[in-house]
Amino acid sequence: MKAGRTLACVVLLIVVGASLAAGWLAPAGYAKQYREAADAPPSAQHWLGTDEIGRDRFARVLYGTRISLLLAPAAALLSTFLAVLVGGLAGYLGGVWARVAMAVTDLFLSLPWLFLLITVRALMPLNVSPLVSVLVTFLILGALGWTSAARVLCATAATLRSSDFVCQARASGIRGGRLFWIHVLPNLKPVLYAQFWISIPVFILSEANLGILGLGVAEPLPSWGSLLRELEGLVSVGEEPWKFVPLILLVVVVTSFQFLLSKQEEVAA
Amino acid sequence: MMRRRNSSFAPSGLARPNSSTHSLRCGLHSFAASRLGHGVRRTIFQYFLPLMFCFTFLGQVWAQGGGELRFCLRAEPKTFDPLKVEDDASVSIRYLTGGVLVRMNRQTQALEPELAQSWKVSKDGKSISFKLRTGISFSDGTPFSAEDVAYTVQQLMDPALHSPTGDAFRSGPSKVETKIISPSQIAITFPAPVAGLDRLFDQVAILSARSSKKEMAVLGPFMVADYKPGTTVLLKRNPNYWKTDAQGRKLPYLDSISLDIQPNRDVEMLRFKRGEVDLINALDSEYFDKLAATSPQLVHDAGASLDSEQMWFNEVAKAPLPAYKKNWFRSATFRRAVSQAINREDLSRVVFRGHAQPAVGPFSPANKFWFNSKLKPTVYSPQASLKSLQAEGFRLENGTLKDREGNDVVFSIITNSGNKYRERMAVLIQEDLQKVGIHVNVVTLDFPSLIERMTQTFDYEAILLGLTNVGLDPNEEMNVWLSSSENHQWNPQQKTPETAWEAEIDRLMRAQASGADAKKRKESFDRVQEIVVEQAPFIFLVNKNALSAVSSSVQGASPVILHPQTFWNAERLTVTAK
Amino acid sequence: MTTGAHTRPTLLSAHFSVRYGKRAPTLRNVKLEILQGEVVGLVGQSGSGKSTLAMTILGLLDRKRAHAEGTVQFEDRDLLQLGERELRSLRGRKLALVLQSPLSSLNPALRIRTQLREAWRAHAAGSSADCEQAIRAALEGVSLPSSDEFLRKYPSQMSVGQAQRVLIAMAILHRPALLIADEATSALDVITQAEILALFRELNRQTGMAILYISHDLASVAEICDRVAILHEGQIVECGPTEEILSCPQHEYTQRLMAAMPRIPRTNAAQSRPAAASAAKATGSG
Repeated sequence: MKAGRTLACVVLLIVVGASLAAGWLAPAGYAKQYREAADAPPSAQHWLGTDEIGRDRFARVLYGTRISLLLAPAAALLSTFLAVLVGGLAGYLGGVWARVAMAVTDLFLSLPWLFLLITVRALMPLNVSPLVSVLVTFLILGALGWTSAARVLCATAATLRSSDFVCQARASGIRGGRLFWIHVLPNLKPVLYAQFWISIPVFILSEANLGILGLGVAEPLPSWGSLLRELEGLVSVGEEPWKFVPLILLVVVVTSFQFLLSKQEEVAA
Repeated sequence: MMRRRNSSFAPSGLARPNSSTHSLRCGLHSFAASRLGHGVRRTIFQYFLPLMFCFTFLGQVWAQGGGELRFCLRAEPKTFDPLKVEDDASVSIRYLTGGVLVRMNRQTQALEPELAQSWKVSKDGKSISFKLRTGISFSDGTPFSAEDVAYTVQQLMDPALHSPTGDAFRSGPSKVETKIISPSQIAITFPAPVAGLDRLFDQVAILSARSSKKEMAVLGPFMVADYKPGTTVLLKRNPNYWKTDAQGRKLPYLDSISLDIQPNRDVEMLRFKRGEVDLINALDSEYFDKLAATSPQLVHDAGASLDSEQMWFNEVAKAPLPAYKKNWFRSATFRRAVSQAINREDLSRVVFRGHAQPAVGPFSPANKFWFNSKLKPTVYSPQASLKSLQAEGFRLENGTLKDREGNDVVFSIITNSGNKYRERMAVLIQEDLQKVGIHVNVVTLDFPSLIERMTQTFDYEAILLGLTNVGLDPNEEMNVWLSSSENHQWNPQQKTPETAWEAEIDRLMRAQASGADAKKRKESFDRVQEIVVEQAPFIFLVNKNALSAVSSSVQGASPVILHPQTFWNAERLTVTAK
Repeated sequence: MTTGAHTRPTLLSAHFSVRYGKRAPTLRNVKLEILQGEVVGLVGQSGSGKSTLAMTILGLLDRKRAHAEGTVQFEDRDLLQLGERELRSLRGRKLALVLQSPLSSLNPALRIRTQLREAWRAHAAGSSADCEQAIRAALEGVSLPSSDEFLRKYPSQMSVGQAQRVLIAMAILHRPALLIADEATSALDVITQAEILALFRELNRQTGMAILYISHDLASVAEICDRVAILHEGQIVECGPTEEILSCPQHEYTQRLMAAMPRIPRTNAAQSRPAAASAAKATGSG
């Protein structure tokens, strides 16, 4: 068990380290187009080959990792925070609050997001630098991704609210806010963690979809989302296995994180 | 009306069939409509092959014959009534079932006799007379005569029917006259001259005036035998088809054609590989290469098609852009400099893997008659580009181009999302322009948003789009080139032409439209092409090649660039059993 | 015992009804008096309204659903008239609660120290050393180890008896005037139950804390209570010194309760069996 944890740790360290050292490991850069060698297989010069317009895939994977590993967890954090704020609090307070919060959540879920995002895009200036696009993407993902987590949290918090230990704590004279913070929140933790980790891969993929609406990470900056989008049209799996590196990396990283976390949970329990 | 042709090409243009395809297509319709104006020229048919041509197939077809040809329609056919045809699937069916008076040979692009043995257009371009073949009957046995032609034309021009095909003929408000001179002779007179009148009849499938089966009685090589909505359309050989081959054998050779309705291109490709379909039209260049890698004999690259990919700057005076940017975009020097700084060879080679040709001007060289062969291709030269920019007052500082007032030259190019080719072109252009210090932001938008910016709000700087150009005649593009038109994309609906060159284009386009003399019309349009290249309101990037795939069990196929690519000579194709 | 009790001042004097929504009242005209330092038993079967009574006194009824009418005079105030803020300052400080199931009454996600500290901080503003001292004193008071190791435990790492002692320690942190033990020993095995009962008696004697001992188990009530109130279908049907009630129950329900009390067979097993069987029947129908 411990070995597994160490392995997960090492994997993450390597991935994060490599992405931070991207400039040194892949001096080709993520934007330079080697047009003479477009869509090339792996070679000494391009370890993972080049993409359809000749950009070094290895460099793009490293830089993409940097962006996605920053963006997705940050957005997941934001959305989880919002979920606690809306769902957890509403469930804990119960009554009218819960009903209002769930109505808001339902409304939020039923909104035609596609059109709202199109409106958001329409309101934004066209000339947005790639870095600003990363920030915008983060905010959008975070602001939109909280709903399902909120519903789960609301239900969980509602059961906690009527639990014996909360009753006992109230009988000890503990104040409402403190009660939520100290007694309810720690019990929501497993749900929070689950929501957080579920959100990360979802956000990585959603980022690619936002790109369709002109809201994702802008060219030429890479992200895991845009790298995964390359796989969309791939007809055969076997012929070009190196193209699957971004996907494998995503799976490995998410698994490692989860592994690491579940172990911590166990220890805590 | 234009929509159908564009919708058909939309999937190839828009790449992946995904959830947003539908809306994107709709968007494309409207744009397509705008560009191509009117007239349905894509399906230019050709059953009447010259004798010499027949011989090339002879060896193969003589021995075999029969069989069933199978291929996919990419959408449900909306109608079987040839006059109401609008969508691509219906056009394909009309091509295979409808009998026409004249047909444009899809290979030579020349007009050839079909149900009409000969025809004559009057000097003023208002009327046309046909001498018809005799002894021909419809698929249900009803005899064919001038009466049917008159009936068809009257139906076609009936305002109540709203025939999309008929729109191309509508030149004036008063009625069309049809005069039956004899059962085999007819004269049709329009209220005003119609440019390229004879060619328009390529799309007019003749209806029977008397048959009880209405539009299901046909004169073409095949007839609709069965239709299962959402699944298949089955065409059977028309037993009464009049044409024979050089040996006197009745055409068509095929017994039937099975058209599967299949919008998903991946599935189409898979079924082709399994041998379940025989033809693929408008093949994607990536698929083409994948297929070519394993079976090069199955794929056909017919060379540059009529389709063009292009970008343009927003030149609208009231556009919500800073004044200095409008100054750049309204400067021909700036536009030409951008054009020069774009490496078109690389676009063709890298983005389309060689299955595209650097574009020269508004018309593709594939348009044999109308293309102006004297146009000089834009030579890629960042140095020359920079030089002309500097002459205009721009200067390069630390790798960033600045205008006279010191503003950084930064603009965005928007393109429709989901089309990876356009996205890649934009990224290549982004890098190309960086070499002259211009910073480009690439933005992909869903099609409706893009169209809204392009036609309503004018809130854009540059747009990169591909335009499906299916007609051959420049007359179809009247409302793209006329400055007053709402489809004059770079600066639509001008009350009076804002520039001298646009005024000149207006004059030349009107001149070509009113003349019946093809040579004079060509002179006018050649000049239009020169002005467009000179002023670069549209920066033409590439002409995509017409790619297709034909199974080895099909004999006699000779894919061409014009629709319907692989099955333009369906009546002479045969399929051997596998 | 009883004679001494009457000389003490009254701590709590309640007379109220509670109804949930438009249903028949759960508690009807309940009259209950607890003197300072007195141990009062409240006996009734499940659903008789025992817990509602406890929650009413603590002001923990769901105010939106439950409606309480009457007075609950505690010391010099009517608890039913107090706002949430004032009630909160009484809870844990003057009024304490120990619930039935010790393991679910402790927060599974928190260490013992955290739970005790939170309970202490709710009413004290002292330093963390004061807090630590109070916690250790309380733990010692319930015969639990006050070691760091123990304080770091999670509830799941303790036995039920330990957990119940922790809960009691938490309840007596602020030396309340009244401890409400709601079925506090019902979930325990017989030996632990006896220990906890002894602990209650000990605490009562040492601190002079009054206890409202709520139970369905007459035997345990008999063991520690000065007086007993019998609650039946939302009403107190009988109330008096424990011995009186047990020796000559007046109300029919009390009589049935008495009859249902398990007895250790002394003479003849055959004699007691039919009695137990009929008692079970009586309880079932009641």
